Amino acid sequence: MTLTDESFAYDNFESIFRQILQDLGITRSVLAFRIVADPQAPYFLISVRLGRARSAIKVADMSQLNTHTGGTAITITDEAWAPALLNKLWQKYGRDRVEQLTRFEILVRGAELEEVSAMELDPGEELKAKVLDAVWRLFPEGFTVRYNIVDDRAMTIIGTEHDMSPQWVNVAQMVHKEMQVKEAD
Amino acid sequence: MYEVLMYDGGVYRVNELYELVEDVGGFVIQKTQIQVQILVTMAVPEEERPSIEAKTRELGGKIVNVPLAGTEVAVVAPTLGRHHMPHPTCDIAEQLRRLGAITVVMGLARGKGRRTSQISADEKAIIEEYDAAVFVLGNFKDCILEHKIHLFEDIQTPVVAVCGPQIPSLPNCEAIVCGVGRKVERMRREEEIGRLDDVSVAIEKVVKDKRRVLEEDPLFVHPAEVKDRITELEPVQRSLRPAPVVLHLDGLRVKIPYKEWKDQIADVQVYGHRLGDIATISDSRLGGSTLIRIKTQSEVEDHDRRKTS
Repeated sequence: MTLTDESFAYDNFESIFRQILQDLGITRSVLAFRIVADPQAPYFLISVRLGRARSAIKVADMSQLNTHTGGTAITITDEAWAPALLNKLWQKYGRDRVEQLTRFEILVRGAELEEVSAMELDPGEELKAKVLDAVWRLFPEGFTVRYNIVDDRAMTIIGTEHDMSPQWVNVAQMVHKEMQVKEAD
Repeated sequence: MYEVLMYDGGVYRVNELYELVEDVGGFVIQKTQIQVQILVTMAVPEEERPSIEAKTRELGGKIVNVPLAGTEVAVVAPTLGRHHMPHPTCDIAEQLRRLGAITVVMGLARGKGRRTSQISADEKAIIEEYDAAVFVLGNFKDCILEHKIHLFEDIQTPVVAVCGPQIPSLPNCEAIVCGVGRKVERMRREEEIGRLDDVSVAIEKVVKDKRRVLEEDPLFVHPAEVKDRITELEPVQRSLRPAPVVLHLDGLRVKIPYKEWKDQIADVQVYGHRLGDIATISDSRLGGSTLIRIKTQSEVEDHDRRKTS
């Protein structure tokens, strides 16, 4: 570890990360996190214990579906899911076929009602993307050589400026294992 | 020594203030009028402050202290990315602006990283054009001590370093302010505002020291006097850039291109001298600007003596 006292840096990085999580609205979805940094190596590591994302939801459960002459019309009833729904529709049908008529109404051209109705939105992916965003906001700029370990329970990312040393990867794996079984803070 | 003050009051009978400033041998540096309210920044001899204060009371205005008026300060961060403290950098710049300085915020082209962070000769030359520079550094003590101090190693302009961890002293800089570090929000809390005050105190001290050195061999004319003449130039009046003429402690920056206007600037008459004879006029690295460094009285006398002999 370092010869100098880096307690200021640790405290500061912790408060920065908490602030970022709050900005992104995912404070409750991150159960715990740990930051390890060795400025003399140098590497920076962050491991995050992911909380449970909202359970998957079918499109039919968050909106009303009607057959339309041009395809299927969707009326969103729970707006919180609207961005995820739009993303999913764009991925499946392409932007040309998805028309947003109003804030709550979407028309998908040439799509079967049953097909749209059975689609599932996966909030786990959305959560991971947000946590990753928070991690990139926190990471020191310039530490672009990265190694990451991701599973359903935890996400560990280590970064450095030059070559990644196998010892640091070992540290990352150790911290990741600890984080997988860690209880919420 | 001149003292820079700001009058905050109404336009009613403000001409009497201008006359008094002229009578006591001072200069008006800047006037900002918003409808019937006016802010007048002026430089007056230190001993004349009471008479200015008396006139201000008579006019129903107030005097605001602006210790950094007439200076231009650079606030430098390793980069302007969100990782490199745009919040503290902007807050520090704003704090200095409130005390009268003109500030620029600057990010280095390759300042990011630890071992990879660099500053180019060009960037150093740009920073040296300013009266003082504030370097805003980050969280890790080791990083600052081992790597970041090289960023301001050979800079001739006085530097104030701002960083997170407590470090008793740093080489290559005039002062150090600790306890800021990286932030993702504005500096609003009481202790954070205290740190901003510390930065302005450090810069004030640097500026005061520089003024004292200049007083030992005073400038031939005060930059504010040159400003009066320069402002009459047509391209300056047409310039749409904010603050087209900026005062420095030992000269001024005129925001018109050097190549096109150097001869006209040099021909400006100041107390029977050509400006070109009593000042060094050069191209600014900032682009589209001209730098004027006023020579000291002894330099001008020496120049005059050689001319006549």
